[in-house]
Amino acid sequence: MSTLSDRLSAQPGEIIDRSSKLRFTWNGKGVTGFAGDTIASALMANNVQVVSRSMKYHRPRGYMTADYWDPNGSVQLASEPNVRSGHRQLQEGMKVSAQNVWPSLDRDVRAVNGVLGRFLTAGFYYKTFMHPRSLWPTYEKVLATFAPGGKVDLDAPSGYFDKRYAHPDVVVAGGGPSGLAAAIDAARAGAKVMLVEHTHHLGGHLLWGSDGDRAVLAQLLTELAEADVEVLVDSTVTGRYEDNWIGISQRSHPGVEERLIKARAKMLVVAGGLIERPYVFEGNDLPGVMMSSAVRRSMAMYAVRPGSRAVVLSANAEGDAAVEALTAAGVEVAAVVDPRNGQDLVRAKGSRRVESVELADGRSVEADLLVIAAGWTSPTSLINMAGDRPSFDDSCGRFFPTDPPETVLVTGGMAGDGTTEEIVEHGRATGDLAARRASTVAHRLQAATTRAQSVDEIEPVWAADSRIALGRWSHPGLYRASTHGIVDYSEDVSSKDLVAAAKEGYDSVELLKRYTTATMGPSQGKLSTVNTVAILGEARGETIAEVGTTVWRPPFAPISLGALGGRKFEPIRVSAMHRWHEANGATPIIAGQWIRPEHYGDPAAEVRKTRSGVGLIDVSPLGKLDLQGADVPKLLNHLYTNTWNKLPIGGVRYGIMCAEDGIVLDDGVTGRLGENHYLMTTTSSGAATVWEWAENWLQTEHPDWDVSVTPVTTAYASMNLAGPKSREVLSSLVDDIDLDPEDFRYMQLRTGRIAGVDNCIMWRIGFTGELSFELHVPAGYGEAVWRSVMEAGAEFGITPFGLEGQRIMRLEKGHFIVGQDTDGLSLAPATGLDALIKLDKPDFAGKPELSWALENYEGPLVVAVQPVDPNVVPGEASQIIDPIDKRILGRITSARYSPTLERSVCLAQVEPQFATAGSRLTIKMIDGSLQEAVVQEHHAHFDPEGERLRG
Amino acid sequence: MPSVTNMLRDKNQHGQRRYSAFGLLRKGLSNQPWPRVWREVPLKDSYDVVIIGGGVHGLATAYYLAVNHGITNVAVVDKAYLGSGGSGRNTAIVRSNYLTPEGVAFYDRSLTLYNSMADDLNINVMFSERGHLTLAHNDSSLRTMHWRAEVNKLQDIDSSVIDPAEIKKIVPSLDVTSEARYPILGALYHPPGGIIRHDAVVWGYARAADAYGVEMHQKTEVLDILVEGGEGRDGKGAGGQVTGVMTNRGKISAPIVVNCTAGWASLISDMAGVDLPISTRPLQAAVTEPVKVFLPAVVVSGSLHTYVSQTDRGELVFGAAVDPYNNYSIRGSLEFTEGLAGHVMELMPGISRMKLLRQWAGLCDMTPDYSPIMGATPVEGFLCDVGWGTYGFKAGPVSGEAMAECIATEKMPAIIAAFGLERFAKGDLVGEKGAAAVGH
Repeated sequence: MSTLSDRLSAQPGEIIDRSSKLRFTWNGKGVTGFAGDTIASALMANNVQVVSRSMKYHRPRGYMTADYWDPNGSVQLASEPNVRSGHRQLQEGMKVSAQNVWPSLDRDVRAVNGVLGRFLTAGFYYKTFMHPRSLWPTYEKVLATFAPGGKVDLDAPSGYFDKRYAHPDVVVAGGGPSGLAAAIDAARAGAKVMLVEHTHHLGGHLLWGSDGDRAVLAQLLTELAEADVEVLVDSTVTGRYEDNWIGISQRSHPGVEERLIKARAKMLVVAGGLIERPYVFEGNDLPGVMMSSAVRRSMAMYAVRPGSRAVVLSANAEGDAAVEALTAAGVEVAAVVDPRNGQDLVRAKGSRRVESVELADGRSVEADLLVIAAGWTSPTSLINMAGDRPSFDDSCGRFFPTDPPETVLVTGGMAGDGTTEEIVEHGRATGDLAARRASTVAHRLQAATTRAQSVDEIEPVWAADSRIALGRWSHPGLYRASTHGIVDYSEDVSSKDLVAAAKEGYDSVELLKRYTTATMGPSQGKLSTVNTVAILGEARGETIAEVGTTVWRPPFAPISLGALGGRKFEPIRVSAMHRWHEANGATPIIAGQWIRPEHYGDPAAEVRKTRSGVGLIDVSPLGKLDLQGADVPKLLNHLYTNTWNKLPIGGVRYGIMCAEDGIVLDDGVTGRLGENHYLMTTTSSGAATVWEWAENWLQTEHPDWDVSVTPVTTAYASMNLAGPKSREVLSSLVDDIDLDPEDFRYMQLRTGRIAGVDNCIMWRIGFTGELSFELHVPAGYGEAVWRSVMEAGAEFGITPFGLEGQRIMRLEKGHFIVGQDTDGLSLAPATGLDALIKLDKPDFAGKPELSWALENYEGPLVVAVQPVDPNVVPGEASQIIDPIDKRILGRITSARYSPTLERSVCLAQVEPQFATAGSRLTIKMIDGSLQEAVVQEHHAHFDPEGERLRG
Repeated sequence: MPSVTNMLRDKNQHGQRRYSAFGLLRKGLSNQPWPRVWREVPLKDSYDVVIIGGGVHGLATAYYLAVNHGITNVAVVDKAYLGSGGSGRNTAIVRSNYLTPEGVAFYDRSLTLYNSMADDLNINVMFSERGHLTLAHNDSSLRTMHWRAEVNKLQDIDSSVIDPAEIKKIVPSLDVTSEARYPILGALYHPPGGIIRHDAVVWGYARAADAYGVEMHQKTEVLDILVEGGEGRDGKGAGGQVTGVMTNRGKISAPIVVNCTAGWASLISDMAGVDLPISTRPLQAAVTEPVKVFLPAVVVSGSLHTYVSQTDRGELVFGAAVDPYNNYSIRGSLEFTEGLAGHVMELMPGISRMKLLRQWAGLCDMTPDYSPIMGATPVEGFLCDVGWGTYGFKAGPVSGEAMAECIATEKMPAIIAAFGLERFAKGDLVGEKGAAAVGH
């Protein structure tokens, strides 16, 4: 067996810092690496050959690509699962362990599945575990223990994540030679450029190339340093959405675990390079089978010796370069298999690592390393997301872009083949083209905005694509040798599985993918898609182009939920009087975004004091919309079911709104402040909905109406002063408003000065059933006015009351709440307010449905109900049932104990035949017991004539 | 009536056809391939029934036509592959804790069929009856949960409201503290709800229908529906009689054509001259990388517009509400993933380092009352099973069963009587909106 623990001598391109040793643990054992190492390179340098176990068969797996995409390289890093060890840089003190092994990486009991493999073909679980049915939950639990991946530590602190918006002219995805060149030349042409590189280092394959390659890289990096380019390494363009809306996951921003950059790029340059494609043969997942790029990268950048005796399958110049590099590093190359000369291999043998390779010519060569250079996969995800369907070129063995949008340019290996110089030249031309097109896009965007005065009239000419196209070098189409092997490493799907599934009828690429799960694992098919398609083609006797490919979906690389969620920006809304409430013992209640007082200790006492004297409630969350314009009555007529033509200035009217299906949407009062000026109030929870509803009608159906809608919910602090003494309290606080009941009557409004504050609105309404004044004062003065009212009320025994007190009082009064006493099924007639539905209006939202509904309404009605036993308060949602057959006849929608009446009071919805006064109902309580109740004559349990509120 | 299992056992000209552990063993030992899951047969020029749409609705309809009514000269045509639409894009949640007694009865029948599907169809659809929690974050949604629970109890559906401590016991990863921005006040708990392998349901119905002689034709796109004698353009529309369909593979004659599509249902119906009150909106979903299983139940939060479950493979599967605009795009948006991640981390702060692996979208055909359109249309012989909004998958089996009965008997079965197209012209909308619109 080889000893791999020694590093190679200093390599010209190495990026490790041998002077800086880092200690870390691997499965609990202390090991060391160097600064600059990835976890993978450090583990390889420590002679770790088996890094994981495969998902299904728990076969030992080693590094194959040793980069982000390595399907075998996911490890658990302390509390973080699924860390790509080929990508994550080593840090002092890291705790790294293998995941998905039991009991340990070395001895994994589930490896027995490998022996049973012939019975556990892809999709086997669809065909078994059916009998007996009672055992399926047990089967399922066992299956679930096979779930791959690491462990989430649910108690770990969630970390700091953030977001940023950016508006670059050009985003370049990929920092290899073509991407570097594109970024440099785009910047030189005047564009604001963001260069995004997935790994920690710019340079792509130049990093592990020849001396000449490194010289080119050095030159490009010098030019880059002089150009004005924002460079993001360890960052990934994760998605390209409509109109070049680009998502970038930045893992390298100081102090932030991961940052989502959202960039509206005028141009996107895709320079993603190529991913080396595995070759399918028996034993192709043994540790020691590595891609040529992985071998060269490991040696050149990390001075890691990947083996001691190698067989190299080389179908291209990169494979030839690997032979050279291995030889130079002192690794014996025992055989080179060159498919360009018709050579091939048959299988790799070994138990925990490659021990020998069987070749097609019959030879068996001992080796501990099998290097594969069989071709490439073009990672076309981003151009896929841009709507392009790449086409397969058989002579090159890979996909190329077909016809991406004009604002997405492709360069580098994804665009074609060439010498390093040609690739760089293509990149430069692409950058220049992107910059010129970006200026046209910028002009178009600016011209399309409403502030377009400053735009030059002449649009810059759309730059034509005059780049010299890259070549297409022919490459043997190598997908599978004469034996079967693993196609999808993260899902443990073999070519044999794929052929069997195709023969079974899962013979289109999408069906095959879904049935076998090939390409659906964490490496997102980056390594397996083309081989999957090729093997399906083989089974169907079709070419890869005929089979077609699956659609790559975002993200390009997995992105953390933390980065997507970002910092928490859930708004919390409080009123201008919130400090007062807190200082005065209010118990808070969360009502959507609002936090408001539920009560101040004793809601029943608040009710009694208000009913007998006076009380004050903060109703600031009430939705408020300022409506101005000559056509406001048209809008009101359209939104409300009643008529609004004759509301006088100073008048206030109540109305209900319905959606187009006649279902009650909201209710509230609207007052007329001036000739063309109204203030609409909505329910607190309906504020946003009603605003959108109004705007929707105005912007789509009636853009000609002269109406401006301005939400002013938080511009005013709102409070309701209720109770028989409310007028007396108020009289000392107003000087320019006449409170005389003969002059300022119920359902009227006044504007003026309250407690020294100008521009206040006051109206008389009565949700609580009391004489009451609702005050809307400029929010900045809210607390001052509130304090003044409380002070003025002191001699009358004023009490603050909260939401609960208001709920009790409105229930005593029988006022329904939309969404509580009505619901998503309640047509307007359910409320009993038929008089407010004016079908003689030419049109309003919900009219057709309401016309039908009024004609022959058979739905439930809202009624007031009192339990026979006055001390029984049914739970809200208790069902009203037929005691014999248990049929549902309705339900209790609101229920409270009334401190005023000293008995329980309810609102309910019941079928119409039980809605008449005196009907006896049976309530099935939440605990299952039955209670009798009686339907009342009026909705109002208290003061049905409304003498108090008109007082 | 012969069961599928027996049919499959009889068909031994293909060798071992019935799925079982024993079958796996024999195939493994003999290295023999399994027979095709459904046959690939030439397209005929006429059938008794042509079903447009090879999703769970179309395939279930075909299956029940064959098994319950003996109608087997049936072709299911799909423009792509079976299960390529909503059937393969949903988040595979099934439940029956609906709000109205009618809704409960309907979905309970579906749940019953899902429950016995492995036996009925001889395929393991991996129905995981893991429990379904709908969280309440404020007193009004808690009231709605109580309402649903009380209705459910009266229908003998296992459904109740539980408090935060009980929630924490069932799903330890949830943040039930009062520190949360939208604290969890309680949940509607529905133990029989769960998730199922949606593709297996599609394949199971296709395989079973195939065993009875039904033909599945993929990559067969309907370009036109042939109608004679109607009042509309080209003899289509009301009063007409369907004569068949024109496809990209030629003309097929059929006296009965059934539209079982989603996403494009209104466009397909328009081919027959039938207007449907449908608007189409994308519904987005996403999945994370797998991690060891930690989430044992389906969790839904209406207030946070999200639902989440963890598959047996370890992936978290998320969904949200439909996009707020009409669109035929299934590309998915960045904003969706942002909102989703923010919301699920509200529920489970510990998952911030899990990584989103893939996002996608499906198309939902929304009707004015969020209820489907089923049964006859003004065109004789042209039937619909469309407009399923966001919950078509849950309803697949019962819809197929009812549509098959509707086709065979030419009468609307009671269980779908409320869903006729004519209701929109009579003001007779169905009321499940309150519950169905809430989520999954």
